[in-house]
Amino acid sequence: MLTLDLLINGLIIGVFYALMAIGLSLIFGILKVVNFAHGEFYMVGAYAYTLSALALGISPWIALPFALLVGLLLGLVVERLLMRPLYSGYTSWGVMRDEYAVIVTFALSIFLINIVDKVVGPYAFKGPALIGISRITIGPIAISGHRLIAAIVAIVVIIAVALIIRYSFWGRQIQAVSQNRLGASLAGIDTAKASAIVFSLAGGLAAVSGALLANIFNPTPDVGVFPAIKSYVIVVLGGMGSVPGSIVASLVLGVLESFGGVYISYQYRDTFGLFILILFLLFRPQGLFGEKAREV
Amino acid sequence: MSAGGHPTNRRLRVEFIVSLAILLGVAVLPAVVTNAYWQGVIVVSMYFAMLAIAWNILAGYTGQFSLAPAAFGMIGAYATGLLAYYYNTGFAIGIPAAILVSGFIGLVLGRIVLRLRGPYLALTTLSFAEIMRLVISNSIDFTRGDLGLNVPGIFQDRLPYYYMMVLVLLAIQAGLFYLLRSRAGLYLRAIRDDEIAAASRGVRIVYWKTFAFTLSAAICGLAGALYGHFAHFVSPELGLLQQTGVVISMVVIGGLGTMVGPLIGALLVYVASEFLRDVGNYQLVVFALLVIIFARFFRAGLWGIVLAIFGAKRARPAAVAPAAE
Amino acid sequence: MPCLAIEKVSKAFGGLKALDNASFSIEAGDLVGLIGPNGSGKTTLINILSGHLVCDSGKVELDGQPIVGLRPEALARRGVLRTFQLTRSFPRMSAFDNLLVSGCALGLSQQDAEKRALSLLEDLSLTRIMNLDAGQLSGGQMKLLEFGSCFMVPPRIALLDEPFAAVHPTLKEIMSGFIRRRHAEGQTFIVVSHDMPVIVELCPRTVCMNAGRVIADESTRAVLTDKVVIEAYLGEAAA
Repeated sequence: MLTLDLLINGLIIGVFYALMAIGLSLIFGILKVVNFAHGEFYMVGAYAYTLSALALGISPWIALPFALLVGLLLGLVVERLLMRPLYSGYTSWGVMRDEYAVIVTFALSIFLINIVDKVVGPYAFKGPALIGISRITIGPIAISGHRLIAAIVAIVVIIAVALIIRYSFWGRQIQAVSQNRLGASLAGIDTAKASAIVFSLAGGLAAVSGALLANIFNPTPDVGVFPAIKSYVIVVLGGMGSVPGSIVASLVLGVLESFGGVYISYQYRDTFGLFILILFLLFRPQGLFGEKAREV
Repeated sequence: MSAGGHPTNRRLRVEFIVSLAILLGVAVLPAVVTNAYWQGVIVVSMYFAMLAIAWNILAGYTGQFSLAPAAFGMIGAYATGLLAYYYNTGFAIGIPAAILVSGFIGLVLGRIVLRLRGPYLALTTLSFAEIMRLVISNSIDFTRGDLGLNVPGIFQDRLPYYYMMVLVLLAIQAGLFYLLRSRAGLYLRAIRDDEIAAASRGVRIVYWKTFAFTLSAAICGLAGALYGHFAHFVSPELGLLQQTGVVISMVVIGGLGTMVGPLIGALLVYVASEFLRDVGNYQLVVFALLVIIFARFFRAGLWGIVLAIFGAKRARPAAVAPAAE
Repeated sequence: MPCLAIEKVSKAFGGLKALDNASFSIEAGDLVGLIGPNGSGKTTLINILSGHLVCDSGKVELDGQPIVGLRPEALARRGVLRTFQLTRSFPRMSAFDNLLVSGCALGLSQQDAEKRALSLLEDLSLTRIMNLDAGQLSGGQMKLLEFGSCFMVPPRIALLDEPFAAVHPTLKEIMSGFIRRRHAEGQTFIVVSHDMPVIVELCPRTVCMNAGRVIADESTRAVLTDKVVIEAYLGEAAA
């Protein structure tokens, strides 16, 4: 049945989007900035997974955590080197700290895309599937084995992250810093460490997303650009800084694109999200669940 | 302290004179650089210089960091291109049309994004830019999509284009000089520094922010049209986000919020990128890295460094936290 | 006709009632102190008067004209100028330019604005730093600068929100001297402050607020000995 197929596929894509969007949302929550290089964390994950599995011959099930590790590391390095000025009292950009973040992450995105392009180049092969079966049938739906397993992995990761943020020690530190940085630091929380953890985690999540989707979208240097744009849409739709909001919005967008691509226009399916983004930014910038937009 | 002119105006005068000197240098360059290819490179760098100056008006002077300058360049290019394609018009109609169309769309967009700042503004303008590019790229029946459009030229030889660009740049810088010295310059910078304070002191925020957006878009449109007529071709690639990235790099490296920074940045970055292209296509890597370094450590850009070297009294933008009383 | 008439103004933020039917009026030439414990609604009221917030209900009239809903820039052009509790300035513009912005925005020609700015800087003893970027000034200097920008074009009414907070005594002197001189020339002021000695010294009349309402509106001496006021600040036992 076509509708169910579209729905399931939409939800599955949505789950992958969620992995990226959660990280972006967390970054916004804690640093109040949008990471314009987020798509490149995805891309790096895709490459790490594909290269390690195909070039080094490792099993995909080991390549996956490897991609996660690479993502975690990259996020950490970026945060340490570039994001510090946002909160360490560096005043050269003064009130324009948001703009500093825009410029620096945008430039970082271009840097990463091009350096991967020079060093590795577009990779001709798709990332290996996690499971060999190409078609699994569950009731009325047929789905590729990899997609199913990848979706399950993604869901597990999302639940794990949600639990960590909610209940673990560092998760609660992060929540505190997101709500009130000054207050949290006065309460003795190491805000720098919290920021580092968040950025690192976001990098890891995006990398996993890239790895899981490498079987569907060939790793190329700019493979992360579209997913990134989708994440922006999702994060705004779900509410900047709201993890549950991002999850819901991801699923919604995945389904919308799935149906829209078939019933409205395949060509313009990428523009739907952008229109939604603009509408929300203009009329409801806090999204469906997010914190009220910061005042100027 | 008051004799001899307002200090800000003095600084602007210096920057204007330096701009004139640079443009003079560019004007006489063909005497030395006779290779047509390299002359073309400089023409393209002047296209970028216009985009850079336009973006700087919006971001550096008014504080609105839009991610759409390349998109407006593309819109201007297509305005003249489509008119030529459907109505066989030339540059005499195409160029004013490009300015008007881009300016108008800039006006509308500017009005829409009035209340947005920082990442919200960036995301909205980014979406706008991508939507524009995707629409042009996908409307194959109307625009020929990625195939692009052929655009009639203006002159027979390459050299007249070169001088046309120099003259237009000169006009833009002169206009900017006049603008920044006037009350408009005060208002724009006030809006950039603190919009709420500016409003509470009577600055008409809506008017001036929209003005900056419109002016910036119009200049980008003009640049795009000129480029189209020079290259005899326009395509959606003009509006790629990557191009906006290049423009932003040029301004940040040259000196954000200064009058001459974008000019220096654009000329240097583009010409240098051509050299780097010979070496192995590393230009974007290098420039992205430079942007990061400059944004992180040299907020005032190359022009700021030049001023610091020559010991100008107020070389740096206010960077020091208020000292103890 | 009163210069400023505030009638039953209310404003709530979510469940919190910041202003609850607050009313009082100011005649031209008044120098009124506005006091009250923290959270009494003083700054909310100033924000409504200057157009940064819109009240939920009530009327505010300037010289008989309703001004609710007008944007800050429109109000500034009608002569309602204010300072902020957390000093606002244009950090990357010189002190001189900071003043010019106010002057030009309110209709002065560039030449007049420059002349006025120079004399204001003189009045406030800020001439020495006039070419420094506002962001490079000390906290007190910035506050003086923001204060000064209210007077580039004499406002119909100057709303000063905690102008003396955390300010060096010397600068306090400069500001109060300035206020006194201008008041003598007929300038209307509302001064929000916690600094009682200064209020007593400067303001003949004081309005006291608590929990969003006006609880006292009389001569400053009377307000300070008013039981209701003391109770608001110190609790029932002390009254």
